Amino acid sequence: MDFTLSGESKMMVKAARDFAEREIEPIIPRIEEEDALPDDILQKFAKARMLGMMIPKEYGGIGSTALNVILVLEELAKTGSAAAFLVAFCNSVAETVYQWGSEDIRKRFVPPLCDGSSYPAMAFTEPGTGSDPTAITTTATPDEDYYILNGTKRFISHGHGKGYGVFYANDETGRITAFVADKSSEGYTCSKPWALMGLAGQGLVDVFLKDVKVPKENILGEKGKGFHILLRWIAGERIQQMAFMVGMGQECLNESLKFAKERMVRGRPVTAMQGFQWMLAEMHASIEACRWWTYRVASKQDEGDDIQVDSAALKLFVVPTIQEVARKALQIHGSYGYCKDYKIERLYRTIAHAGITASSTELQKTIVGSALARSKES
Amino acid sequence: MDIVVCIKQVPETNEIGWDPKTGTLIREGAGGILNRNDKNALEAALQLREQHGGLITALSMGPAQADEALREALSMGIDKAILLCDSVFAGADTLSTAYALSLAINKIMRFDLILCGKETSDGMTAQVAPQIAEFLHLPQLTGATEIAIENKLVRIKQRLEYGFRIVEAFFPAVITVERGINQPRIPPMDSIMEAYRDKEVQVWGAGDLGGDSARYGLKGSPTQSRNIYTKQVRKGKVTILEGEPDEIARNLIQLLKQKDLL
Repeated sequence: MDFTLSGESKMMVKAARDFAEREIEPIIPRIEEEDALPDDILQKFAKARMLGMMIPKEYGGIGSTALNVILVLEELAKTGSAAAFLVAFCNSVAETVYQWGSEDIRKRFVPPLCDGSSYPAMAFTEPGTGSDPTAITTTATPDEDYYILNGTKRFISHGHGKGYGVFYANDETGRITAFVADKSSEGYTCSKPWALMGLAGQGLVDVFLKDVKVPKENILGEKGKGFHILLRWIAGERIQQMAFMVGMGQECLNESLKFAKERMVRGRPVTAMQGFQWMLAEMHASIEACRWWTYRVASKQDEGDDIQVDSAALKLFVVPTIQEVARKALQIHGSYGYCKDYKIERLYRTIAHAGITASSTELQKTIVGSALARSKES
Repeated sequence: MDIVVCIKQVPETNEIGWDPKTGTLIREGAGGILNRNDKNALEAALQLREQHGGLITALSMGPAQADEALREALSMGIDKAILLCDSVFAGADTLSTAYALSLAINKIMRFDLILCGKETSDGMTAQVAPQIAEFLHLPQLTGATEIAIENKLVRIKQRLEYGFRIVEAFFPAVITVERGINQPRIPPMDSIMEAYRDKEVQVWGAGDLGGDSARYGLKGSPTQSRNIYTKQVRKGKVTILEGEPDEIARNLIQLLKQKDLL
């Protein structure tokens, strides 16, 4: 078992760190103020070849590994910014379209998700359901060479951004089918973005589909297998989300150490006090455990293993663990950590999202528990 | 226009030890990074290639782990990479380093310009590039903040202590660049993969260079460190001067004179 990162991986980490410091950190105050990402950031990610990293070169990607994607995302995540989340989203949506798409779909829709000309979108959630496929109300009705989509999608990241997205709807057989749709189609409108606790600029909107025509050849994967595609996407998305948690957890520790070494009490830095040392030690141990498990599941993905249950178990562990790391970071900072002048305040808010989005932590218990109950091993 | 860029892997701050016997840095095992100022030289070379075409070769001397610095140069877009790596090079001072590098440059043959960072963050001597110029009998243009090419003439804007001057020379020439000359590019992910998967770092030893073996490494280095020590920092007494600004200034001058500092 080799735990050494390759030279290539280490160089990617370094490049991602340099990119984050040069291109993301300076624009965070503006993103926080305007609750929107600057228009050019997607192109900058594309130029850095961070989009569609696992996609083969002939479809616009670079043919890298899940582990390298994770490592890059971990570094970008240290900014605690939605700008970094955009990279994960572009990667995971491009992978889904590539994995399930016909050759025609791959050629038309994957390159734009890699070259920065398309914002991604993955639209399943509706006002009446988050994860329950039986509660989907959006319909797809066949009409000659098209399907006509009607319904409302909720909390769709970058649903208002130009380009393409994957939309899930009940087809004429009552089963869920996935469609790749152009977000500039007639009848496609969006709400203004929801104002979120954290992740400024995430662009979470409601999407209203009113007689939106989607060509039949835009069906992604097999007709009626949309929910299966969604589950596969979420499994990969979970690992990327956990890489974000690891990165943000590490930054919580970095910020806490920096603060604690400078914070003087009775003439000594607080790092000299056992209580603070214990908190720092627990944070460090927690992050290391989360990091290596995340790398392990990403490696399993590279090996072609089914990661549905592994990624659910990973999320089940990482989310509360890193949220506890963030809580300790706040304690170490004291009242300063509750001020917006300190990075920890934003990291704390951003870290709060992970137990809710891309399926809740509770749902992971069901996935892992039911898998254990089904297993033949005793 | 073909360019050779000399680069060096330097230790990351606070991770380096000294060999008490030789007085040299113990580089093996220490975390290494590509010298920041050398990245400016690489970026300058890449920009010149974008304008004028040609081939860029990165050249470094160091232990096997210096391969990482050359891979970084390749990932930035450099065409070829050569590492001078041989136990006989160990312990080289600037003169011995410049000697080996100049032999390698002669072996490369195809070059119009040799670009170097002004100095490295470990040694901070700024001597190697001028010494290469002397070994190769080439004009040296140091401290460039701008570089312009006109036919076979290179013109730089040279930073001086109190201003700038324009210096020019015909090809081939050696140029050292300042940190402020540019902002080095961050290598894109696909380029990093190519640097590790598709490109080669050639390794040359003393046998490949020929030359006088007595001039390599510690044996060929006239610089001998007699003693290495860490500077002791003693806590000083702080005196806060109070009063009107004129009065404070007069008292400050008086105090400095008393301590023979003025």
